[in-house]
Amino acid sequence: MQNIINLLTRAIFMSTPLILGALGEVIAERTGMMMCAVEGIFLTGAWAGFAGCYLSGNMAVGFLAALICGMLVAMLYGFCTIYLTQHQIVMGTAVAILMTGFCTFFYRVVFGIPTSPLKIETLPVLKIPGLCRIPVIGQVLFSQNIITYITWLIVPVVFYVIYKTAAGLTIRSCGENPEAVEVAGINVRRIRFLAVMVGGCFGGVAGAYYSLCNVGMYNSEIISGRGWIAFGICFLGNWNPVGALLFGILFGISEAVGIYIKAVGGSGIPSELFSALPYMLVIVLTALRKQFNVPAKLGATYVKED
Amino acid sequence: MSNRRTFTDLLLWTVLAFVLGLVVCFSFLPLMGINPFTAAATMFGGVFADVYTMGNILVKMTPLILTGLAFAFTFKANLYNIGAQGQFYVGCTCAVSVSLALGGRMPGWIVMILAMLASVAGGAVIGFLIGYLKAKFNANEFLVSMMSTYVITYIMQLLLRTVLQESKHEYIKTNKLDKSVWLPKILPGTSVTLGIVISLAAAVIVWFILYKTTLGFRIRVTGQNMDAARLSGINPKKEFMTAFAISGAIAGLAGFVEVNGLQHMLLTGLDSDVGSYGIGIAIMASAHPIGVIFSSLLFGILQVGGTVLSHSTDAPASIIDLMLGFVMLFVLISFYFRRKVELARMKKKTAGEE
Repeated sequence: MQNIINLLTRAIFMSTPLILGALGEVIAERTGMMMCAVEGIFLTGAWAGFAGCYLSGNMAVGFLAALICGMLVAMLYGFCTIYLTQHQIVMGTAVAILMTGFCTFFYRVVFGIPTSPLKIETLPVLKIPGLCRIPVIGQVLFSQNIITYITWLIVPVVFYVIYKTAAGLTIRSCGENPEAVEVAGINVRRIRFLAVMVGGCFGGVAGAYYSLCNVGMYNSEIISGRGWIAFGICFLGNWNPVGALLFGILFGISEAVGIYIKAVGGSGIPSELFSALPYMLVIVLTALRKQFNVPAKLGATYVKED
Repeated sequence: MSNRRTFTDLLLWTVLAFVLGLVVCFSFLPLMGINPFTAAATMFGGVFADVYTMGNILVKMTPLILTGLAFAFTFKANLYNIGAQGQFYVGCTCAVSVSLALGGRMPGWIVMILAMLASVAGGAVIGFLIGYLKAKFNANEFLVSMMSTYVITYIMQLLLRTVLQESKHEYIKTNKLDKSVWLPKILPGTSVTLGIVISLAAAVIVWFILYKTTLGFRIRVTGQNMDAARLSGINPKKEFMTAFAISGAIAGLAGFVEVNGLQHMLLTGLDSDVGSYGIGIAIMASAHPIGVIFSSLLFGILQVGGTVLSHSTDAPASIIDLMLGFVMLFVLISFYFRRKVELARMKKKTAGEE
């Protein structure tokens, strides 16, 4: 029983950055922008978060640095895809290659070649008084770190903004019928650019979660496809914040099971298969789903007639 | 005339983007206490200093041409095969398995042909599966191909750790291949093998398929206008599967030329960038198969140049990714301006005719 509780706690812990990244992706994709730079943004966030925290000794500075750097990368991506009308998937690859080089290069610039890997304390657990004493749920849900709680709070906020406000209507319309939005006197490109910026902030913090909360150090393999999983979660969650939350938890569980099996060992099943589990899950789930509520203009560059 | 003009434009803009990308990248070097001008001189001096290093450009190009072609081929069908890396690994695994099992027991060239066929078939199967999911279940091919890379990487690691592991069971890699199954070297004094010939031939064949056969025509029509394709009796779903299978086969072939040509064994994390570089290469060439050769050349020069730089100065090896990233970025930006200049010129021309 205790094992299962630990497993679930770990699952919730691992789901946070995926949910956060997927939420950013939802906001951007609702306006018709595929955030293919997400892997590069995650990596930048992980790097900036680590560097900010290590140099200042303050977690908050680390997360702030990650947020800003994630936003900057998203702005570069947004500028090239929206204003210079370049292809989104291709641009995403370019950003990923660039940021891989950039982060490794600047890790070297800032830290030189350390004799032993630089480590920091990971973000501590924040037990919510009272609630954390509830059996099972208390440990699983209310003994997490602060970023996890904030992420849960963001889910209804994003949901409310997208479905219940005028701004949300504009966001969704940009993805469904940009011409109509333009006729209504709203600048489609600006909306898309802003949405990508917000998505970048989310992605940056999500990336920093891996370096600051999960391992307490930085290396270039720290993300290894998690950005793309967040991208997939946005698809599977039907571009809905609640869907992102549910699928985020599902992938958190699959990651936690992999970690657990590797730690326990002796199951007879090779650990590599468990590492591959989340990725296989994306493939199977995308294939199984019949109906997707894809924003009509997702991935299509909006060219303003003049 | 207009064709030649477009070509000159493309060349000029790409060179400009290339230079700008390098300038921006090198402007970071003073942070490491390296003079960017000496670095540039070291890099280009080093790359063209001797035949061996120049040969290395061709060596680096060999798999890149193929992964570039793999992306370009599906791109023509308006599909995205982001999973060339995975198909490359499948090709590697197939080639190394066949070569290890049969190497030394049969004439080398027969084994090599079998290994080549195996790697092509392996890549094609993975490509076909992705195309099948796209055609039958309307799965997002971009997402599926991206994820397949990670799954394949882990499975390859598993195989390397178990059945394929070297006899001493120390490292996660295979035994060295028998010398009889190494692709023969073709240029004395370099490591250039027959692999580059295979890659170049593949580029020509892909060009032929795309532009001179009905299969290629069907694929291109599907990519340009799916409704028009359907109305003229083309089944887009069938073309998805064909395009993906061929794309996967090309990426698988890259595994063969890399394993039997250069590495002579398989180890984890081998050429982990070859897939994403392929995407950049295909885009720089506007997905034209012959153009892919030249943009691979560019990537090859940068890779070898970066290696020279990191060996002879304090610059880290990550300078390679930084250079490639900035060059790709500026090339993409140049596409926008080239198009703009072209449109302006067309406008002027029509205005003049009136």
